[in-house]
Amino acid sequence: MVISAEILQATLEHFFLAYTALLAGIIVAVPLVLLSLYSERLASLVMKFSNLVQAVPSFAVVAVVVPLIGIGFTPAVIAIMLRVLLPIVKNTYIGLFNVDPALIDSAKGIGLTEFQIIRNVRLPNAYPAIFAGVKFAAILANSIAVLTALIGGGGLGSMIFEGLTNFNTAKILAGTLPVIAIALFLDFSFSVLEHRLTPEYLKNET
Amino acid sequence: MKFKKLFNRIESIKLESVTKSYGDRFAVRDLDLEVRGGELMILIGRSGSGKTTTLRMINRLIEPDSGRVSINGANVEDFDPVRLRRSIGYVIQNIGLLPHLNVSGNIGLILKLEGWDQAKIRERVSELLNFVSLPPKSFMDRYPHQLSGGQQQRIGLARALAMDPPLLLMDEPFGALDPLLRTQLQDEFCKIKKELGKTIVFVTHDINEAFKLGDRVAIMDNASLVQVGTPEELIFEPSNELVSEIVDSKRKYRHMEALKVRDMMQSLDSGYFLEGNMPAEIALRKMVDAGLEVAFVFKESGTVGKIPLNEVLKAGNTGKSLNDISKSLLVFPADASLFEALTQLKEEGESMALVLGGEMPVGLLFSDRVLQGLV
Ligand SMILES: Nc1ncnc2c1ncn2[C@@H]1O[C@H](COP(=O)(O)OP(=O)(O)OP(=O)(O)O)[C@@H](O)[C@H]1O
Ligand SMILES: [Mg+2]
Repeated sequence: MVISAEILQATLEHFFLAYTALLAGIIVAVPLVLLSLYSERLASLVMKFSNLVQAVPSFAVVAVVVPLIGIGFTPAVIAIMLRVLLPIVKNTYIGLFNVDPALIDSAKGIGLTEFQIIRNVRLPNAYPAIFAGVKFAAILANSIAVLTALIGGGGLGSMIFEGLTNFNTAKILAGTLPVIAIALFLDFSFSVLEHRLTPEYLKNET
Repeated sequence: MKFKKLFNRIESIKLESVTKSYGDRFAVRDLDLEVRGGELMILIGRSGSGKTTTLRMINRLIEPDSGRVSINGANVEDFDPVRLRRSIGYVIQNIGLLPHLNVSGNIGLILKLEGWDQAKIRERVSELLNFVSLPPKSFMDRYPHQLSGGQQQRIGLARALAMDPPLLLMDEPFGALDPLLRTQLQDEFCKIKKELGKTIVFVTHDINEAFKLGDRVAIMDNASLVQVGTPEELIFEPSNELVSEIVDSKRKYRHMEALKVRDMMQSLDSGYFLEGNMPAEIALRKMVDAGLEVAFVFKESGTVGKIPLNEVLKAGNTGKSLNDISKSLLVFPADASLFEALTQLKEEGESMALVLGGEMPVGLLFSDRVLQGLV
């Protein structure tokens, strides 16, 4: 009983950590890319930065946060967020910029403003790509949230590391199994959602 | 409605010494062109001659480097571009329907952005669908990928008409369709063009399409305007080799000199003739019932008079008889030279003449139908 309460507690912590970070990632990434539509300099800056973070190993991203902002929950959130930025940025970028130029042209021609074009043409076109990015980021956040236990993020990661240092197999499993379950659950539920959210016109193609 | 159209009718569109270049290449060079209110002006020329650029300077999708584009005398630069474009219908070859919106979403998009309410939008969309011959019930809720190319093109036209703009810009709207479908849509467009009563600037590279639809045709080459005129003018008085090549006057009209009026006349049946002393009111009913735009009377002098439907309408019930309102009419013998007959028609500013075989009227000659018959 004690163990199961502890597992539940750790799982909740883990969930909370990973998805606060994911949400933060979305909130930062999507508007940044939208703003990039107005400025080529910002666009290239955003892409360069997120590519850079991607090139650095996850472990290093988590570690480098410590000297900058210390340890605890918030630094853990920031580390995860930095790591999930790229898939979201990249996919949002692709979705917003890879629109058939004839669509943009005719929308402009019938009298849509720049903003209305983003809202009515670019964004709807980008949803599937953004969604794919978020799906990937969600799975990534789940795994990095284990690592951030090292810098005081808490959750399932702490349990796993504790188990590892004490050779406590039960504890290791108690930490890893929920992580695996969460990963499977995410993959499954995102697939279902994806199918539901995919616009009609994309389903029949390919 | 929060939006007022910038203009409700077009008096004229003027392009004055308009130039646009990309790098050191001219896309349009020192172009002067006037489009009159209510006419359909064709822009035609080889690929890259500057047709699209010219068209897009009218709704400010492209800004000229120098020169002036004005509508009803007002420089388009003085209008807000978004408001300008909402006052002008725009149809392009790739149509550009939004794939995530259904037909009514696409047609009604601008109306929605204009703040129309749902019910009014639906009503307007139905009206427009009917207009382009697509039954609203079965088309409203379809998505673009569920439509054929011709149907998409009709939706594109309906969308351009949503705000009932007095001016339409069309860039090779039928260019991507197969020949059969293109002919069909051209025929339909020909019919609705009259109903629309709009000013239209229409880009094409198909001379048959140009002659079929255009009131006047502007020929462009190498960023410049070469000649503007009615199809007849271009055929009979091409200003240079290029024009005669484009209108293909040598090949198609070579036999023109040999043709007689009878070869190209429409035969005449007695239904076209009414009694000269018939009151206009009664004639009106007869003509409307028979679908006649024009009728004829034998005058006492032995000549034939023309009764256009609008004159009959004007006479109303003033008690006037057809003899009172009949107009004189050009008459050609059936074996007269077609070329000379057409030239004379043009000089007199007439579009039709009566053809006599001996003493008897045998047919009608319509200048525009002759050209269409020849093309
Ligand atoms: N955005 C642009 N940048 C550079 N050159 C351009 C641009 N738009 C047009 N041009 C050039 O300007 C010239 C005129 O182009 P335009 O599109 O007006 O031709 P067009 O007559 O419509 O041709 P088409 O029949 O192929 O559509 C062409 O040489 C074209 O390559
Ligand atoms: Mg073009």
